Amino acid sequence: MAALEAAPVQLGTTEAQLDNDQGEARIGSNFDERGPDSSAISSFDHISPWALDIGGSLIKLVYFSREDNCSENDAMKRIAKKEGEVSNCSKNYRVLDGKLYFAKFETSKINECLDFIQSKQLHRSGCRFQEAPVNNNTIVKATGGGAYKFADLFKEKLGVSLDKEDEMDCLVAGANFLLKAVPHEAFTYMDGQKEFVQINPNDLFPYLLVNIGSGVSMIKVDGDGKYERVSGTCVGGGTFWGLGRLLTNCKSFDELLELSHRGNNRVIDMLVGDIFGGMDYAKIGLSATAIASSFGKAISENKELEDYRPEDVGRSLLRLISNNIGQIAYLNALLFGFKRIFFGGFFIRGHEDAMDTISVAVQFWSKGEAKAMFLSHEGFLGALGAFKSFEKHGLGNLMAHHLVEHSSMALPHVELNTLC
Amino acid sequence: MAGPAENHVLGINDTKEDTEEQTAISEEERNSAETAEGREKDMSPASGSSIHRSGSRPQLDLSGAAIQGNFEERDPAILLPNQSDDISHLALDIGGSLIKLVYFSRHEDKRIEDKRKSSFKQRFGIPNGNRRSYPILGGRLHFVKFETSKINECLEFIKSKQLHRGGMNPRRWPVDISPNENVVVKATGGGAYKFADLFKEKLGVSLDKEDEMDCLVAGANFLLKAIRHQAFTHMDGRKEFVLIDQNDLFPYLLVNIGSGVSMIKVDGDGNFQRVSGTNVGGGTYWGLGKLLTKCRSFDDLLELSQRGDNRTIDMLVGDIYGGMEYSKIGLSASTIASSFGKAISENKELKDYRPEDISLSLLRMISYNIGQISYLNALRFGLKRIFFGGFFIRGHAYTMDTISFAVHFWSKGEAKAMFLRHEGFLGALGAFMSYEKHGLDDLMVHQLVERFPMGAPYVGGKIHGPPLGDLNEKISWMEKFVQKGIEITAPVPMTPLGTTGLGGFDVPSSRGDTLRSDASNLNVGVLHLVPTLEVFPLLMDPKTYEPNTIDLSDHYELEYWLTVLSEHLLDLVDKAVASEGGTDDAKRRGDAFARAFSAHLARLREEPAAYGKLGLANLLELREECLREFQFTDAYRSIKQRENEASLAVLPDLLIELDSMDEEARLLTLIEGVLAANIFDWGSRACVELYHKGTIIEIYRMSRKKMQRPWRVDDFDNFKERMLGPGDKKLSPHKRALLFVDNSGADIVLGMLPLARELLRRGTEVVLVANSLPALNDVTAMELPDIVAEAAKHCDILRRAAEAGGLLVDAMVNIEDGLKEDSPSVPLMVVENGCGSPCIDLRQVSSELATAAKGADLIILEGMGRALHTNFNAQFKCDALKLAMVKNQRLAEKLIKGNIYDCICRYEPAS
Repeated sequence: MAALEAAPVQLGTTEAQLDNDQGEARIGSNFDERGPDSSAISSFDHISPWALDIGGSLIKLVYFSREDNCSENDAMKRIAKKEGEVSNCSKNYRVLDGKLYFAKFETSKINECLDFIQSKQLHRSGCRFQEAPVNNNTIVKATGGGAYKFADLFKEKLGVSLDKEDEMDCLVAGANFLLKAVPHEAFTYMDGQKEFVQINPNDLFPYLLVNIGSGVSMIKVDGDGKYERVSGTCVGGGTFWGLGRLLTNCKSFDELLELSHRGNNRVIDMLVGDIFGGMDYAKIGLSATAIASSFGKAISENKELEDYRPEDVGRSLLRLISNNIGQIAYLNALLFGFKRIFFGGFFIRGHEDAMDTISVAVQFWSKGEAKAMFLSHEGFLGALGAFKSFEKHGLGNLMAHHLVEHSSMALPHVELNTLC
Repeated sequence: MAGPAENHVLGINDTKEDTEEQTAISEEERNSAETAEGREKDMSPASGSSIHRSGSRPQLDLSGAAIQGNFEERDPAILLPNQSDDISHLALDIGGSLIKLVYFSRHEDKRIEDKRKSSFKQRFGIPNGNRRSYPILGGRLHFVKFETSKINECLEFIKSKQLHRGGMNPRRWPVDISPNENVVVKATGGGAYKFADLFKEKLGVSLDKEDEMDCLVAGANFLLKAIRHQAFTHMDGRKEFVLIDQNDLFPYLLVNIGSGVSMIKVDGDGNFQRVSGTNVGGGTYWGLGKLLTKCRSFDDLLELSQRGDNRTIDMLVGDIYGGMEYSKIGLSASTIASSFGKAISENKELKDYRPEDISLSLLRMISYNIGQISYLNALRFGLKRIFFGGFFIRGHAYTMDTISFAVHFWSKGEAKAMFLRHEGFLGALGAFMSYEKHGLDDLMVHQLVERFPMGAPYVGGKIHGPPLGDLNEKISWMEKFVQKGIEITAPVPMTPLGTTGLGGFDVPSSRGDTLRSDASNLNVGVLHLVPTLEVFPLLMDPKTYEPNTIDLSDHYELEYWLTVLSEHLLDLVDKAVASEGGTDDAKRRGDAFARAFSAHLARLREEPAAYGKLGLANLLELREECLREFQFTDAYRSIKQRENEASLAVLPDLLIELDSMDEEARLLTLIEGVLAANIFDWGSRACVELYHKGTIIEIYRMSRKKMQRPWRVDDFDNFKERMLGPGDKKLSPHKRALLFVDNSGADIVLGMLPLARELLRRGTEVVLVANSLPALNDVTAMELPDIVAEAAKHCDILRRAAEAGGLLVDAMVNIEDGLKEDSPSVPLMVVENGCGSPCIDLRQVSSELATAAKGADLIILEGMGRALHTNFNAQFKCDALKLAMVKNQRLAEKLIKGNIYDCICRYEPAS
């Protein structure tokens, strides 16, 4: 099996812009900004334009592919053209044509990832404009725990050296980039309603970034490169999937999510009403339908696992984990006086129930004062940050600055899903 | 057997109440509880008429009440004696998983007047007779649990004990309560609503619903204020009790972990707010655990976890980082990155994982999560103290460690997780508190004594049988254990100390294959409410006072004393059986006592903090309590009598010898005599062996000959200077001296009485302070008047003083030379100290002693138990003299770097 998903993004942006007539942000379009003699260029000789985020559960791959010879759709070309215009009206950048691709693999099936890279010849640098010798030591930016764990494997199989970027650095860089550069990157999700939120890039900081991977990291972000991991929890996506697998025999994370969508948590969760004989505990504001104890009903019934529908089990599990993350995130935001909490990471991946329960938890505990926000590109923050670390040589800022000027268009939902 | 007309003395029960363990009650536990009740009924004075006061903690009878009532500034806890109040002594907390029951068994008051007491009262101007016609609240609080799914067991329990009718056998009440009468019982928890109809139908009881949070907070406040060692920390497997200053208790965060979790900010009595909570709680652990492991009960699931290794399921930082740490953000390789995260990446199914590992992963996940959310809330409100309670914890070391670790980790050591010994009973206790006029609000920490009667170590036993009605059935029940070859100890063996600590989310360094008794390592005893106890008023600083000299938290020290007590056990059983005439019944009870006490020792060896903070005084008292539990009221009765007689026979000669000396020589001889006579101590193994080699008098004389100064601790010169004055200068004598006496026989007769006589001669009032209840061969306050009377026959000074002290009301006719025209003497009095242990904790003494202490300016503590094991380092507001012979090599080395039979004469003048 190849990548779980490998949706192309046009022209080096992280954004899908098929319907976008105004042109949009793009990444890595001006590597040569500093001119041919720039050290950035020379250092780039050995760096491939792709990056990895090797997490405990998933490997996220972001790679850039030159566009000029590809016969992609017209939209791409249109955008390329627009891009040129944009560039022209601001500065005299040389714009690269190309696409940024996103791909995911299960970490346990890392060979698929290696095969994929090999098939795409990414490890041969993959950059056409690059004349690096094939036998040169190729260096690839990577983050996530697996960047350490699998370093030898990459070296052995692909001859690629993983240049480890700090995970948090990458996450934050990825999030900052997306939030500043991509309009409508953030949205709220309540009662099935998705609502995009306009973020003023000048009023972005501080915020709490909650990255829900296998575990959960909660990061207080005060600016570019200015952040602190203030909290976290080990009850995260890995818990959902791991426990879910044990409980339901689902074969994949997505299957489990899909399953839980159809379930009813009241079958297994002990609700306030179950304890109080159907009544609310009004004095402390708990409604009869509030969950008093996740899985609490399983204790008093003579039922075994097989007697429960996997859908219901999955649903209870999802609510447990979402609720818990939402609560801990809110408490941390409260401690630091933050109004904004962004949730990202592969657990959410646009799953409505996950977003909904997290939103409800944040709303419940904050009494409506705080709102959970989500990122359209959740899941790829780290990989994107690692990719962006190419640009440490000075490209990134301009990029973001540039993009801000064109950030008013709406982002269709459809593209989101094809992206991640 | 108690007849309807027979009243119980306040604290008359000779035996212990039974235990109600903290785990869900099993059938045999219930049986044992019934045993207790049965015993309580059976043990009315008829069976122990020679003992006027007995009971778990000897209390003053009504005279004590009167004393207390005399101090108008106090607000004594009072229970009005109308029936409706008695009925209400049961409260329930019906949760989603467990039913917690708290009930109160009251002691009726009984008038016992003896000459000593009446004289004492006269002297201190205490009106004789009752100012009230109703008793002080005194009694016992019992704690019991049932599984909610087995609610019928709970109903049966209540029914069998008639708790809904006041907890007493109706026939013992003058006014019978009609079974049809509508009985109202306080209840809290969701089930109070859900099961209201069931209680009405089955028991005719109306549940009066109390708000759950109100009850939780009331229960916690009561426990934290009233029970000294209620709260403890638990880090890395180490339990440490925390002293909470009552005045500095608020605010705190109370985290109650039931099926779900409530987090409550408590600002004062009745002043609180539920600020947070989580739905991931005990119900989640059990519910998910049940689905994943097919365990039948919460405890099975917990037990499983003890053999688990979570690394097979949890994804650790090291798993992600290839064994490396993520040090930048302070995560070690062994930190859990994702609970159950490993289950995703392997092609294993549920059946491929060990249930043990699953249970452990689940436990850590939930405990850690609760700890984290609690800390965040504490931080949010600036609360330093977080108390965790609720049934989920149930004394489980791993759970507590994990929660503590989470709090410690996230607070960077600034906040501490604390746990409550009575966790799980907060709500039920609070519901109980909601009765009006129960008097508990005013109880102070020194008025509560916790007892751990037999039955406590039997949790989880597998023997079922018919309900137990009395001690006899209880013994039979215990014998079954022996027949079935079940060793009577705690249910689960444990690893040595210090290996239980795993530090929350860091993976255990080594767990081994051994089991630990986590699931039950805290026992909830029966709480005895004794309103007459007071803090000894002459303590310099009651807050910092620690009675125990030896710290038993030192593992080796504890081991030593447990061994000493074990070795002494057989001898003690012999004495006890002999004291009851060696009958078959006595033998049977003796066996049962031996088994019971051995079980206690085994329990403590496994888990030193099983019964709360353990000091040597507690340990020695436990033995006495255990004896009384099996109706051995005075194991050394005959020995004491024999030795008293032998000593009294030689007293006249000794007095003549003393009177021939000058003042200075006499004082030295007297102190020598006290130290020498202190050798007669049946608590000392070394001395018991001595007794086989000679008569009392021979040993006494030999002992006195060896009394050569300087003693190992020798402040005699300072004491002498105070007594006789420096040079020719005379200091005014002490006004009143309290003499804490030790053993019967030579110790009291040839040692302390002559010293008392000397003080009396110098115009100092003397109060002999003796045990309320027998402990080893210690002389009791009941026995002293007779001994004094006998001694007074040979000594005019003693006679006149005893007369003045009202001790000789009946004995006067026996005095041959009536020198009635003598100038009135200063009095010699006797008071009881309020305890039945070889040691004394001066935070809890009888009000009688507290009253007598108010005019005292000299304290003399005599003997190992009261002057060395306890109080060696105690500071007093007045002059204090501590006299003892060290009859234990280890103690001698430890305390004074000396040897066995070294002597201590420590004089500390009032500063």
